[in-house]
Amino acid sequence: MNEAELIERVDHFSRFPHRGKLKVVQDTSEFMNIKSGDVLELGGAYYLVRGDEMEGRFGLDGEPKFWVKRVVDLLDGSPKIIKLVFHESFMMQLGVERIRCFRSPRKEARILEKVADDPYFMHGFTVFDAAGNEVRILDRIRGVKFYEFINNLSMEHETYFHTRFPDVLSNIVSAVEAIGRLHGMEELHGDIRNDHILVEKETGRYTWIDFDYTYEWAENPFGVDLFGLGNILLFATGMGFHNLPDLSACAPEGMQVKSCVAPSDLSLFFKHRIINLQKLFPYIPDELNHVLMHFAQGAEVFYETTQELLDDLKPCVEILIP
Amino acid sequence: MENKALVAVDLSENSLKAVDYLAEVMSCHPKARVTLLHVIMEPSPDIVIDEEQRKQRVEQLRTEALQLMEKAGERLTSRGISEERIRLLIQVCSKPVSVAELILHEQKNGGYDTIVMGKRGMSKREQFLFGSVSSRVVREARNCAVWIVD
Repeated sequence: MNEAELIERVDHFSRFPHRGKLKVVQDTSEFMNIKSGDVLELGGAYYLVRGDEMEGRFGLDGEPKFWVKRVVDLLDGSPKIIKLVFHESFMMQLGVERIRCFRSPRKEARILEKVADDPYFMHGFTVFDAAGNEVRILDRIRGVKFYEFINNLSMEHETYFHTRFPDVLSNIVSAVEAIGRLHGMEELHGDIRNDHILVEKETGRYTWIDFDYTYEWAENPFGVDLFGLGNILLFATGMGFHNLPDLSACAPEGMQVKSCVAPSDLSLFFKHRIINLQKLFPYIPDELNHVLMHFAQGAEVFYETTQELLDDLKPCVEILIP
Repeated sequence: MENKALVAVDLSENSLKAVDYLAEVMSCHPKARVTLLHVIMEPSPDIVIDEEQRKQRVEQLRTEALQLMEKAGERLTSRGISEERIRLLIQVCSKPVSVAELILHEQKNGGYDTIVMGKRGMSKREQFLFGSVSSRVVREARNCAVWIVD
């Protein structure tokens, strides 16, 4: 495509006509300098940059992620996400525990290839830019983050639990199965949290996104993922997290504090987070509460594989959806 | 009867305690054979991209391991276990593997009667996130004794 053709395509997919000289970027190493209105030339295709993705964690406006660009494919106008190469290492906080975490574009590129036919994961492909950077070009998923999906529900917990939760749990089981498939390929997600599942608008499917975090090898390589899955299950069952200070202040509507919460009822990782939700919501069946208690301070046995978790979780779906 | 012991040694203080304990017990056993096993994991290419850097890291770990093994070997010989009855084994893994599986594999292949390990004293949270080598060895070992030394 020559410059005139490119400008024509840019104008076609922009709200405002392009002014001045078009900046076409082939080497993405300096991603901070790539701005909205620039065009990325990658793997023989052209992408108009619309802006940076925002961290946007847990419903808050966060920092821009300069290495993640919102773009439009100038061939057909389809929206894409382009993740540029950014290596970093930092201490990740998992509740009160800290663990060294590494961002690995290589790992995410490899997983994208492995899950190309699995609808429970974001899809995309990898190309190398002019400087040899491993750039991931991702399909944009139309949907809402699981965190927002649950938080946007406006009803009492008991109503939620009986009307919406059975379907939510069934979808969580499918999402856990997907993580199991990933583990079966000797890969870990690495950053399982409530805002890394998108509830797809059209299908309602829970789809995993963002798997570029990795860690030094450990005896149990999937422990970090199981920690994340436990959080998601707790969040879904409780229709949010419930912490001790919230109880002493003003309990959410529908909550019935039937008995005192003991230290063994609290999270192994989060000091004040209540795991034994049955004490707050007595209609939660024993089978489901038993699964949650594997993530409590009082737990003597932990889940080491997704299969162990699923073996306990699937019967809960059958109880809730007879 | 010959008695074969496999000692899994890492860089922790407790693994040397395990060596001391074994030396104490085996010192009166003239036919005892001891293998000191240390496992080195090559860094993942996802984390250390440059191959040369990965090799350097392995060499550094190998040097540290050799020093440790020599120290451990001296503790055994000082208690009367002769050098020819001590074997040093350093295993370098280029792919991520379970250390517990490696230990169990070595025990089975080498026909060891006893596995000896130091307890690392992991917290519950650490066990959840990272898994415990000694717990898995205790759980899955067959046809041998397992000593965990604290």
